[in-house]
Amino acid sequence: MRKIGPLSLILPLALFLGGILIDLNVLGGLLDSRALAYFREGFITLALILCLPIIYQQRWASDRNILRGLRSLFYLILGTFLLLLISNLEPFADQSLSTGRNVLYGSLVNYFILTAWALFSSLFVLVILGTLRNLIFIKQRKNTALHFLILILVLILYALLSITNLNDLDFRFSYRLSSENLGYILLFIVINLMVLNSFRVAWINYLNRKQKLTLFFGGLILVPLQWLLYIKFHTANPAALFSPVLGRFVDLGFLFLSIYISMAYIALVFHLPTAHLFDRQIKQLSSLHTLSRAISSEFNLDRLAETTVELAVQVTEADSGWLALAGEESASWRLAAARNLSAAEMERGVPEAIARWATSQLRPRLVNHVSRSELNVPMSLWKDDVQSVIAVPLESGGEAIGCLYVAKKLEYGFEQDDLDMLRAFSEQAVVAISNARLVESSLVRERLEQELRIAHDAQMKLLPKKMPQVPGITLEAVCRTANEVGGDYYDFFRIDATRLGLVIGDVSGKGASAAFIMAELKGIMEALAPKHHSPKELLIAANETLYGNIDRNIFVSLAYGIVDTGAMEITFCRAGQCPVLFAPAAGEKVQTLEPKGMGLGLDQGASFAQALEEYRQPYRAGDTFLFYTDGAVEARNARGEEFTETRLVSLFQRYHALPPRRLLSQLIEEIGGFVGSARSHDDLTFVILQAV
Amino acid sequence: MENFKIVRLDGTNLTTLKIIGFLDAHTAPTLEEAIQKLLDEEQVNILVDFKDLNYISSAGLGVFMGFIEEIRGKNGDIKMCSMSPKIYRVFDLLGFPTIYQIYERQEEALATFTQKSAPTSNE
Repeated sequence: MRKIGPLSLILPLALFLGGILIDLNVLGGLLDSRALAYFREGFITLALILCLPIIYQQRWASDRNILRGLRSLFYLILGTFLLLLISNLEPFADQSLSTGRNVLYGSLVNYFILTAWALFSSLFVLVILGTLRNLIFIKQRKNTALHFLILILVLILYALLSITNLNDLDFRFSYRLSSENLGYILLFIVINLMVLNSFRVAWINYLNRKQKLTLFFGGLILVPLQWLLYIKFHTANPAALFSPVLGRFVDLGFLFLSIYISMAYIALVFHLPTAHLFDRQIKQLSSLHTLSRAISSEFNLDRLAETTVELAVQVTEADSGWLALAGEESASWRLAAARNLSAAEMERGVPEAIARWATSQLRPRLVNHVSRSELNVPMSLWKDDVQSVIAVPLESGGEAIGCLYVAKKLEYGFEQDDLDMLRAFSEQAVVAISNARLVESSLVRERLEQELRIAHDAQMKLLPKKMPQVPGITLEAVCRTANEVGGDYYDFFRIDATRLGLVIGDVSGKGASAAFIMAELKGIMEALAPKHHSPKELLIAANETLYGNIDRNIFVSLAYGIVDTGAMEITFCRAGQCPVLFAPAAGEKVQTLEPKGMGLGLDQGASFAQALEEYRQPYRAGDTFLFYTDGAVEARNARGEEFTETRLVSLFQRYHALPPRRLLSQLIEEIGGFVGSARSHDDLTFVILQAV
Repeated sequence: MENFKIVRLDGTNLTTLKIIGFLDAHTAPTLEEAIQKLLDEEQVNILVDFKDLNYISSAGLGVFMGFIEEIRGKNGDIKMCSMSPKIYRVFDLLGFPTIYQIYERQEEALATFTQKSAPTSNE
C-alpha cells in the first residue's frame, strides 16, 4: 500500500469538517436538516473510506516485537476505558430512545462532546484494526490477506447499509437493518468472518515462556475490560448518534477486537502448559545453529572439542560433559575437552569400560539410572556423582573416532529429546573434527616438505658447481637426488699443480640431519685436504673429528683418493664406500678395486686405522675410473629387483670408452630405464675420471 | 611401507631376534624398540638372525650401532648370523665384520654365547 502521509489525511478531514459545518448550520437553524442529512452522511462516509488505508499502515505489533505492540494496545484500551468512566455517556443513552433534532443534541456543548467521541472512537477502531491486521498477518498463509480484506469490506458494507435507517434512531443502536433478514444474514456473516480471522494467532508461537505468562496475567485484566468496553459502547454509542455509518463501524470494530483477543487468550492458555518445552525447542535449534557456525570455521581440534562440549552441556542442561577422541592406536582415548570434571577425573581419563560401553554399538546410548545399570561399577569408581548419562559416539567411516558424553547427578535427567539433539550435534562435530584432522595432517605434511626442501637446497649448495680443469684428466660428475633427501656427496680439492683430491661419500640417514652432517664433512675435508698427502692419514684424521660430533647410530661411507697427474696414478682409500671400478682403455676386463676399510663414525680410531688399506692404481691414457654410491646398485624397479653391481659393471664395461659426459648420460639413462616408473629412494651419484 | 617383522626367541642365557623382511628408515624404529626392550629386561646377550632379511639400509645398520656400546658395556654383545650373500656384502663393504661377530650358521653363534659371563636377568 502506498505510504499514507499527513497530506492524504487532509481530504478526509476536510470532508469531516464539511459534515460538521452542515450540522452547525442546521443547529443554528440556517439549513433544513432532512434534505442535507444524506449529503452530510455522504461526506462522513467518504471521509471514513479515505481513512481506511490507515489500517494497512499501522506499525503496532507489525515487527517481531509483538509484546511492545500489545502493550500499546493494552494502554489504549485501558485509557479508553478510564476515559469512558470519567465522562458520562448516559445522556447519549437516554437520547437514543428519543427522536427529534433538538433533543438529539441537547446543547452545543453536548454536540461537540458527541463529535469528539465520534472522532476519537473512529480513530480508535482504525488503530485497533491496524494492530489486529498486523497480528493476523504474522506468519500469514495463502488466504490470510484475502480473508482479512473480505472482513473489512463486509464490515464497511454493513456499516454503509445503515444509511437506509438514517432517520430511525432505534436502528442505530442495534444490528438491524430495514430489511430484517438481510440484517441477520449479514450479521451472521460478519461474526463468522471475525471468528475466522481470529484463528490467526500464530504470533503466540514467537513468545517465550516469560512473555506468555505476562500476557496471561495481562489478559486476565484486558479481556474482561474490552468486553465491558464493547458492551458499554454498544448501549451508548456516541458515534452512532453522530452518524449511523460511523456508529456501526465503531461498534463492529469493538466487537472484532473483543472476539480476537478472547480467541487469542484461549489459544495462549492452551500454549502455557507446553511453553517451557517450546522454549527448549527454540533453545535447542539455536544451539545447533551456534554450534554449526562455531565449528564451521574452527580448525583447532581442542577448541572445537571445547565448543562442542560447552554447547552440549548447555542445551541438555547437564551437570557435566566431556569429549573423548580416539588416539592413533585405537586402544587409547584422549580427553579432548571437559566441563565440570575434577582434575583427578581428567587425569584418569575415560575408563576403558565406559568407553567400550559407549562405542561398542555405533549409536547414541542413554542410561537414566546408572546405579542400576552395567555402568554402575566403572562409573562409581571414576565419577561417583553421575546417575544419568548420554554417550554419543562420533562415527566416521564406520568406526568411532570419538565420543561425546553428558551427565547429570539426578536419575531420569535426560529424555529422548536430549539424545536426538546430541546426535545432531555429533554429526556436525564429526565433520568438523575430520576436517580439523585433515588440515592438521596437511600442515604437518607441508612442514615436512618444507624441511626436505631446505635440506635439498643445502645439499645442492655443498656440491661443486663446476668440474676442476686439470691437465691430463677429464672429470665428470652428477648427483641425482631422490624424492627424500639422501646424503650423497662428492667434491674436489686442488692440492697442487698436478695433484687433485677427490672424494665421494654417503651419509647414513636422510633428511635435514644428513644434510647437516654432509656440511660438516665438507668443512673437515676442505681443512684436511691441503695438509694431508696420504689419503689414509686424511681419513684417520677425518674419522677422529667426525666420530665425536655425530650420533652413535650415524656413520659416513667415504672414498677418498689423490690423483697425481704427473705420476699418472691414483692413491685412494675406501672407508666403507662402494668399490671403485677401473676400466683400462685397451678393452680388458673392468676391475673392481676394493681395498679394505671401515665407514667413518663407527669406531673411535684404533680399529678404523687398522682396517683401512691404502691402494695405489697407476693409469694410462684412455683409462677410466668410475666412482659410485649405493644408490646406483640398489636402484629398484617396480618389481622390486635391484640394479645390482653386476649390471653396473657390465654397463661400464660396454661404455667405458665413451667421453665422460656421454658415459654419464648413458649410465643415467640405463638406470632410469631400469627403474621405470618406480620411485627412487636414494641419491644416484657418479664421478667419472678419464685419463686423456 | 615395506613389511618388517621381528620374532623373538628366548633362550637360556640369550635372546634370538629373527628379523624378517625390509629394514629401512620406516621400519627401523620397530627394531629399535625391540632391542631397547631387551636392554630394559637386562637381556644383553643378543643374537640377530638375518636369514629372512631381504634388505637393510643405513638406518637399519645405525640401529645396531646405536646400542652396541651400551650392550658391550654391560658385558653383553650383539652377534649376527645367517646373512644372505647380498646382505653380507652390505656389512662387508662398510667394514662391519671388524666390529661385529658375524657367523654363517646359527649354531656357531649360539656356541660362542655359552662361553660368556653369567646373565644379569632374574629368572
